Amino acid sequence: MSDTTEGQVHGAPDPGAQGLGGPGPGEQGHGGEPAGAAVPVATPVSIGSPQFAVAARHPRRAEGVAAFAFLVALCGFAGFGAAYWQDANNYLLGISLGVAFAAFGFGLVTWGKYLMPRGPFEEPRPQMATTERERAEFVGDFATRGKIAIERRGALGKLMGAAGAVLGVVTLFPLVRSLGPKPDSSMYHTKWRKGARLTSIDNRPVKVDDIEVGGVITVFPENDVGGALSQTVLIRVQATGNVVTGPGKETWGPDGYVAYSKVCTHAGCPVGLYQELTQQLLCPCHQSLFDVETGATPVFGPAPRPLPQLPLYVDAKGYLRAQAGFDEPIGPGFWYRGGSNGSPQ
Amino acid sequence: MIEKLFGWVDDRVALSRSGRHLLNKIFPDHWSFMIGEIALYSFIVLLLTGVFLTLYFVPSGSDVVYHGVYAPLKGQTVSEAFNSTVNLSFQVRGGLLMRQMHHWAANIFVGSIVVHMLRVFFTGAFRRPREANWMIGTTLLILAIFNGFLGYSLPDDLISGTGIRIAFSITESIPFVGTYLGFFLFGGQYPGTAIIPRFFILHVLVLPLIIIGLLAGHLGMLIKHKHAQFRGRGARDDNVVGSPLWPTYAAKAGGFFFLTTGVTALLGAAVQINPIWQYGQYYAYKVSYAVQPDWYMGWLDGALRVMPSWEIHLPGHMVPNVFFPAVLLPGVTFNLIYAWPFIEARLTGDRAEHHLLERPRDQPLRTAIGAAVFAFYFVLFGASATDVLANYLSLSLNFVLWSFRVLCIVVPLIVFPVAYKICVELQSTKGAGQRKRHNVIVRSAEGGYATVSTPEYPGYIQPELDPVPLDHVDLVSAMAADGDEQAEGVYRIPREYR
Amino acid sequence: MPAGVVVAALALASVFFAPRRAPSAAAAPLPSTVLTAATAPSRTAQLALGRTLFDENCSSCHGAKAQGSALAPNLRGLGAGTVDLWVSSGWMPLANPTSQPIRKPSMFDRTQTEAIAGYVASLAPGGLPIPTVDVAGANAAQGFSVFALNCAPCHTITGAGDALADGLSAPSLHGVTAIQVAEAVRSGPGNMPRFGTFTISKQQLADVVAYVTRHIEQPSNPGGLALGGVGPVAEGFVGLFVGVGLCVLIALWIGDRNEREDTGEHGGEHAPPGAAAPPGNDPEVAHV
Repeated sequence: MSDTTEGQVHGAPDPGAQGLGGPGPGEQGHGGEPAGAAVPVATPVSIGSPQFAVAARHPRRAEGVAAFAFLVALCGFAGFGAAYWQDANNYLLGISLGVAFAAFGFGLVTWGKYLMPRGPFEEPRPQMATTERERAEFVGDFATRGKIAIERRGALGKLMGAAGAVLGVVTLFPLVRSLGPKPDSSMYHTKWRKGARLTSIDNRPVKVDDIEVGGVITVFPENDVGGALSQTVLIRVQATGNVVTGPGKETWGPDGYVAYSKVCTHAGCPVGLYQELTQQLLCPCHQSLFDVETGATPVFGPAPRPLPQLPLYVDAKGYLRAQAGFDEPIGPGFWYRGGSNGSPQ
Repeated sequence: MIEKLFGWVDDRVALSRSGRHLLNKIFPDHWSFMIGEIALYSFIVLLLTGVFLTLYFVPSGSDVVYHGVYAPLKGQTVSEAFNSTVNLSFQVRGGLLMRQMHHWAANIFVGSIVVHMLRVFFTGAFRRPREANWMIGTTLLILAIFNGFLGYSLPDDLISGTGIRIAFSITESIPFVGTYLGFFLFGGQYPGTAIIPRFFILHVLVLPLIIIGLLAGHLGMLIKHKHAQFRGRGARDDNVVGSPLWPTYAAKAGGFFFLTTGVTALLGAAVQINPIWQYGQYYAYKVSYAVQPDWYMGWLDGALRVMPSWEIHLPGHMVPNVFFPAVLLPGVTFNLIYAWPFIEARLTGDRAEHHLLERPRDQPLRTAIGAAVFAFYFVLFGASATDVLANYLSLSLNFVLWSFRVLCIVVPLIVFPVAYKICVELQSTKGAGQRKRHNVIVRSAEGGYATVSTPEYPGYIQPELDPVPLDHVDLVSAMAADGDEQAEGVYRIPREYR
Repeated sequence: MPAGVVVAALALASVFFAPRRAPSAAAAPLPSTVLTAATAPSRTAQLALGRTLFDENCSSCHGAKAQGSALAPNLRGLGAGTVDLWVSSGWMPLANPTSQPIRKPSMFDRTQTEAIAGYVASLAPGGLPIPTVDVAGANAAQGFSVFALNCAPCHTITGAGDALADGLSAPSLHGVTAIQVAEAVRSGPGNMPRFGTFTISKQQLADVVAYVTRHIEQPSNPGGLALGGVGPVAEGFVGLFVGVGLCVLIALWIGDRNEREDTGEHGGEHAPPGAAAPPGNDPEVAHV
């Protein structure tokens, strides 16, 4: 390491400010002398110089404080051990451990801060950038040896590179062959099928008289109770008559019922908050708001598309059934989803 | 005995040759250099408490019936992961404390990384030669956030399960590969069965190993470059002024580790975090309101909330809404952070090596940009609590959300010129930021009166001294020559100097 | 039925509140609410009392016969349960007919509330009677599951409550009584949907009531302060401002190299030893 330390230790002026564009530093009381004008003479420093004195004015007092802290730590750790042995509650365990650690640390810092030389000291710092010569030597060594050993074996190098490239490609195979299946039709179709009965989470099919006006229930197709993608929210908004949420959906809401996919079209959370008075569904995650009476169109928040509606009918025995599955992919968007009607490709 | 052992080792690895230099490594005495240490220490706490947790946690999504001590869950079908997390909280000695310390340490870990990063940014410590270390640090932040999210997801409770659901939606929003990535990551269509064990191995092995590796690089470069330092008496580009590693900083930094651990333990004792037994097992069709991720994902959640309901429809394809706030925004953010040292070098034309730090006011443009960008993310962070804020302030949710939509644009636009102006004003104000001195009237022994100003730091007993080059002091012989064994002060305590 | 119900109800209530922790006074539901209006000693006296109270406090908005007005809805046919919920929760009467009902201490004691509810119920048939809830045989664990599916989406899983759209909110469930929970589930007050016996059966309702009154009212917080039960938002604030903040303050102390008058205590505010001395005089060395 080059010896660039300034020998002029006492009263050395501070280095200059090196402003970099923009308004530079103003008056700061730091005078300017460019760094690097080093005088390579090491002036012997007396061990009696004030930098070597302890930082504390009353070292004995500091020592007492540190000693007390370590004593607290000792008791704290012992207390933690006792608490652990006795299977004490979380509070006792944590407080004893926390106080002990904090006291231990406090004692140690007090020791270092007050009972050690106050300094300041310095050490030289080499510039990171290498010299032209160093670099030339390194590059020279690297290149000349490389020339003899490698460049004249071109074919060998290429073959080795090819082998490495094949390895690189092959290591990607687990990604597409074993980590998981490729995206399949579950992206486009849920398990709702024509005729599927609307079934509660405890496996009871819903009959037309089961839900009161203003009532709401989460339903599933009977073959996928609890299914993450087929979860559907069934709401009874009126006592009788079809609920017409839009053109072409005149028969989708028999006897005052409507059913929407419960998976938010924004980020996929269950849209479970039915606000009965305002006839809205609210998503708890990002507060998208859907208007129940107009086909769950988003009226507020980040959700970009309505919740898909499940067409319903009431069978002869009074059970609610799906006329068909959802007519578009449910849930949040994805690259292959297609246009706004999401026709499966 | 110890000497003999040391000699044996030293003969074989030449410890004392490199070691002596390390003992003299100078740490600048400034509090802001210790913020990164908080991150390091909380990471150690994370490793230690995390090892404890792995002894009891079962990384499986399989169903099991809960038979533990918490009454409201008895007889419920839950996953192995949830079951084991509740059991380690209630039935393992110290388990709850370790879990809470682990979670608090994670919060502190990411928080201190962010504060450390702000310090580095606003003082220009990322400039040459430290650009690479800045990028390593940025990577560490990303990994810390990511690993925090994984850990938060592992208990498989109602709140975190909803977070995983959103993560799947975000993954599948990526153009071209999104659905494939989602299926490969989750082992199939959501929810799949593979996610808990996969998150587990990422959380406890893969990411910690990468973090440890990068941390070694981060600290290795710190030793290579040595600390940057603020301007001050004797501080130059070609030296470091402060106190040596041995013994001063060994004591200070070591003590700081225990203090950080103590803070974590006290939080773990007194403040409950993530009481999953109250949340219950996650099922895709169940949800709770007031669901938020941990704070370091908050800005992402806030961005998801304030994003208008736009998405791009193309023939046969689409770019979903969540892509913009949850993929594009973090992508742009972190790439800008990575590139900032080079952007600034381009702007200022300054490509020289710098080891002396700047104060924020010295570079008004950088400070203003940094403050505005930080303000933007801080507003987004606040936006992740729209519902909770609306509830506590008795405001309309719609109003609060619209406020945040406006604020996240307006606040940075206000912060930028204000920060710039403050910097410029501070530069031109003499003595700004220095302590105010009082004028005191004193009466001399002769009865005369005089007005003097108080010391700059009342109560400080010594003014700053000039730095002593430690390498040039032959401590051993100097102390032998002095020979005063009885004196107080340095002779008593740091025997290492003899 | 009457006498037996009283005894059973009291016994039940004592079983109900005995376990584990003593409930806080504010959260303690009234045991007598298990009684229906039918058990009151004199039905005519009760109706008279209810009528008087209704005329004085309710009729100005809801009309003399509870038929409703431009200011307030028709109450006829809603049943005693609905009226009991709105009055016992302090939602009614409203100081200002346009303001949003918020929970406050009820103006009326239990007898008066039941009297009003009984009087309104007597005006028209139908509606929800004040329900009885048999929590003795209830399974709080089942209740937890039903709660998570049907209640937590709005009220949050800890019952803290949260803001809904358009200035409305799902109220906190802390401090509600068993009867109020049952009445709210069945009647769906305000923006809340109604849950009939198909969605939440009688047994499930008892389970939910048991869960709410046992575990929402007195949550198990072995880990320390619960921070309002609002999850990561509050935790993040504590983590950042207490956790990181405290550590930074410690760093401030460790990194401060200007030692002061007193050792071991940072921030000691002692008068400077040499207040008169001009700054920057010769260094005093601490060789004591």
